[in-house]
Amino acid sequence: MTPVLLVEDDPTDFRLIQRSFNKLSDAFQMFRLTNGDEVIDYLSGEGPYENRGAYPMPAMVLLDLKLPRRSGFEVLQWLRRQASGLNRLPVIILTSSRHSADINRAYDLGANSYLVKPDTGAQLDELAAQFQTYWFRLNEFPSLRPELAR
Amino acid sequence: MQTEILRTILLIEDESADAALMLRGFEKARVMNPLVHLTNGDEALAYLAGVREYADRRKHPLPALILLDLKLPGMTGIQLLQWMRVQGEIRRIPVVVLTSDDNPDTIDAAYDLGANSYLVKPGNSAEIVRMVEAIQRYWVKLNELPQLVMRATQK
Repeated sequence: MTPVLLVEDDPTDFRLIQRSFNKLSDAFQMFRLTNGDEVIDYLSGEGPYENRGAYPMPAMVLLDLKLPRRSGFEVLQWLRRQASGLNRLPVIILTSSRHSADINRAYDLGANSYLVKPDTGAQLDELAAQFQTYWFRLNEFPSLRPELAR
Repeated sequence: MQTEILRTILLIEDESADAALMLRGFEKARVMNPLVHLTNGDEALAYLAGVREYADRRKHPLPALILLDLKLPGMTGIQLLQWMRVQGEIRRIPVVVLTSDDNPDTIDAAYDLGANSYLVKPGNSAEIVRMVEAIQRYWVKLNELPQLVMRATQK
């Protein structure tokens, strides 16, 4: 099972996203985080996240932009400045914002891709299916060498 | 999804057999976006910088998506990526690496330089066509591409 971080503060959105992804197969193990500070703690292995058995390094981060504490943009900026391979971790923005200013800024800060949360459950199922096909059947992932990232 | 401004896709690929298959894949996937195909790194640089015969952005608009082979005559794909990521708005154009090189060090280097995704060209032609269809579905239909200002370039 591939660990994926889903950073989403809205519990309803989280449930819907998780449900669509779970319909695909057991391919993903989703770890939910609800604010930007938690993402940084998780990826740096701080506090409870030191236990990589329970909190494995994810293959990818699905990141909302509007988050309490550090925003998605700030997380992205932090991540791309890390050394030892953590900087390569693919980040897919998944947000309700369709503003071109947000889209442009996300790419400027190094987002790998930018997806807008669809309005219906059927569209979300379709998004999850395409996401899985593209990223996990076709794409080649970088190595993160997280053991060096401490 | 958004009002359809058909944004340009730039394919940088020097092997003519591969390029032909990719163009066929785009046709099969009914990609309506204008597709520009360049065959070497120096030419791609000139196109992106908007110099020489590419100075007129109305005729040669900045692409909203780049499919980049790594082994190219002239500037390599890696060098082009490195150049792109220190530019102004050119930096934000998503780059999907599409190459036959599956060496993990090359994959890491491409991501370090800001590649958005890395695909290894499949061996047979039917699969190349299918991969291009998948690129179209994901990057053009599902994903939101950045906005690029059409800018008059000096000389």
